[in-house]
Amino acid sequence: MAPLKGLFDVRPSCGTPNRPAANTAIFMTTETDNILEIDTIEVIYDSVIAALHDVSLTVPRGKIVALLGGNGAGKSTTLKAVSTMLKGERGKVTKGTITYDGAAVKNQDPADMVGLGLVQVLEGRRCFGHLTVEENIIAGAYSRKLSRADIRNELEKIYSYFNRLKDRRKSQAGFTSGGEQQMVAVARAMMAKPKMLLLDEPSMGLAPQLVAEIFNIVNELNQNEGVSILLAEQNTNVALRNADYGYIIETGHVMLHGTAESLLNDEKVKELYLGISKEGRKNFRDVLREESTDHADLHHS
Amino acid sequence: MHISGWPMTEFLFFIEVVVAGLLAGTMYSLVALGFVLIYKASSTFNFAQGAMVFFAVLSFVGFMELGLPFVLAFFVTILLMALLGFATERLVLKPLMNQSEDTLLMATIGLGFVLEGLAQAVWGVEVRRLDLGIGDFPIQWIIDSTGLFISALDLTAGLVAAVLIIGLALIFKYTKMGLGLRAVADDPGAASSIGIPLGNIMLLVWTAAGIVALVAGMMWGARAGVQFALVDLALKALPVLIIGGFSSIPGAIVGGLIIGASEKVLEVYVGPYFGGAIEGWAPFVIAIFFLLWRPEGLFGEKIIRRV
Ligand SMILES: Nc1ncnc2c1ncn2[C@@H]1O[C@H](COP(=O)(O)OP(=O)(O)OP(=O)(O)O)[C@@H](O)[C@H]1O
Ligand SMILES: [Mg+2]
Repeated sequence: MAPLKGLFDVRPSCGTPNRPAANTAIFMTTETDNILEIDTIEVIYDSVIAALHDVSLTVPRGKIVALLGGNGAGKSTTLKAVSTMLKGERGKVTKGTITYDGAAVKNQDPADMVGLGLVQVLEGRRCFGHLTVEENIIAGAYSRKLSRADIRNELEKIYSYFNRLKDRRKSQAGFTSGGEQQMVAVARAMMAKPKMLLLDEPSMGLAPQLVAEIFNIVNELNQNEGVSILLAEQNTNVALRNADYGYIIETGHVMLHGTAESLLNDEKVKELYLGISKEGRKNFRDVLREESTDHADLHHS
Repeated sequence: MHISGWPMTEFLFFIEVVVAGLLAGTMYSLVALGFVLIYKASSTFNFAQGAMVFFAVLSFVGFMELGLPFVLAFFVTILLMALLGFATERLVLKPLMNQSEDTLLMATIGLGFVLEGLAQAVWGVEVRRLDLGIGDFPIQWIIDSTGLFISALDLTAGLVAAVLIIGLALIFKYTKMGLGLRAVADDPGAASSIGIPLGNIMLLVWTAAGIVALVAGMMWGARAGVQFALVDLALKALPVLIIGGFSSIPGAIVGGLIIGASEKVLEVYVGPYFGGAIEGWAPFVIAIFFLLWRPEGLFGEKIIRRV
């Protein structure tokens, strides 16, 4: 059996690797410090459209976990279930539980979650276009009671990560480049002093060089500020290279999860998600039906 | 008002008309500002704004009749408008938060009827006089120094509107709540994601719209009496918004001035050919021409939804 890597390092007592996701989550609760535990949640929009069926995932404190999948797989829905932004879109968690930092996520609103240190960076950057870059970032501190001097100090700290934004701070955010807007969105979220960030497709529509720059910053924030990160991405390669652990979801089901390294080296992941296949892209379900090989450190749901 | 035997008379008279129009226009700016604030914060066209003007000033006069001194009646009314904003947010907007903008629009129309009915049920239906202690007659020192006949009431209205607009602009630019409001106006979802409580921001804009409504109602009521017709007068904010753009604060201000000045000029110089009293509909005609020329308004950025 191949040695467990990545996340599994932090919980050496974690039983057999083929344990199903839900059980693993429950097991991990007792053994290690997880900042986020999602246990078999179902999410329904408009009371009829089921977007998630049985998603379970775990983010250990201080780690980066990638949530991967194609269009409409349910990545954003998962993040919004955690941040409670679902309510604003007529979505509802109808089954399962979410536990953030030891407490159940139930009737909170997004402002409550921000107060508890959980901030979502929404898909598509979503800057306040008419505000300056600096006003955008300061708005991130809205939930905190800070003096003007405190705000300046916090700003300087943020700028030390996002050097590029310091030069652009007086610019109207709507007129900055896509990469800068993505940085503004992350910087703004950091201004709330989060314990955990939910990042929704930060690479979307950006040139590879900028993607690399942003992921570098995200990694620095994770290392230096200790922020735990749940990262939704379609860009499987970049995400796995920057994450400790990964989950792959399709149509509201977790298909596979494992350490980032094991996923990067997995033949099927290579074929389906990393574009190293000669055939056209299929989905996981079909491949699993064709052949069901056992992976030492991968878990099929 | 017309004085003869002066070489500059005609020109001076024209200036007088324009100045009176601009001063009157500041009130339209103010009411339009109330619309813009609510539109920016909730993408809803607040059809109740006219009713709010009526409700606010009628309540103010009612409190005065109950024996409250001017200043106290003013602040009690502001408190009442804040309370109204709070009730609207809790009872109308929050339950409808995820509904379409059309539903919200209907809700504000309904709110308008409720306010009109409530105001009349509580305070009665007769026209009240409101004496602010400022007459609607020209100020002597302005006549002496410039030869212009400018009404004291017009001038007061203009100054009060200017102070209020500048005050609001400063609040929006430099306070935390103001930053929150501008953030919500740009992207409510993103604002919510960083913990800006939308409910508080709604309360802020409805209170600001309430204050604006009270002040406009007082200025108009002082001239023409506090009566139901104020609701229609407030609807002149609609052409102002078409000219200025629904989501632009500078647009509301400039639009109000344009409507104010042009309706007065038209009333004086063109009105006689139509048998007078074109002030009532001229702004709407101007707005229609504007719609054809610039549907998004002078400062507007996107084309508004047809309401
Ligand atoms: N507000 C909504 N109302 C109804 N259905 C929704 C809503 N948002 C998402 N869905 C549906 O839920 C499913 C999952 O969508 P979701 O946005 O979570 O996917 P995603 O993985 O984030 O995709 P993408 O990579 O395109 O952002 C999709 O079928 C989508 O159509
Ligand atoms: Mg998405």
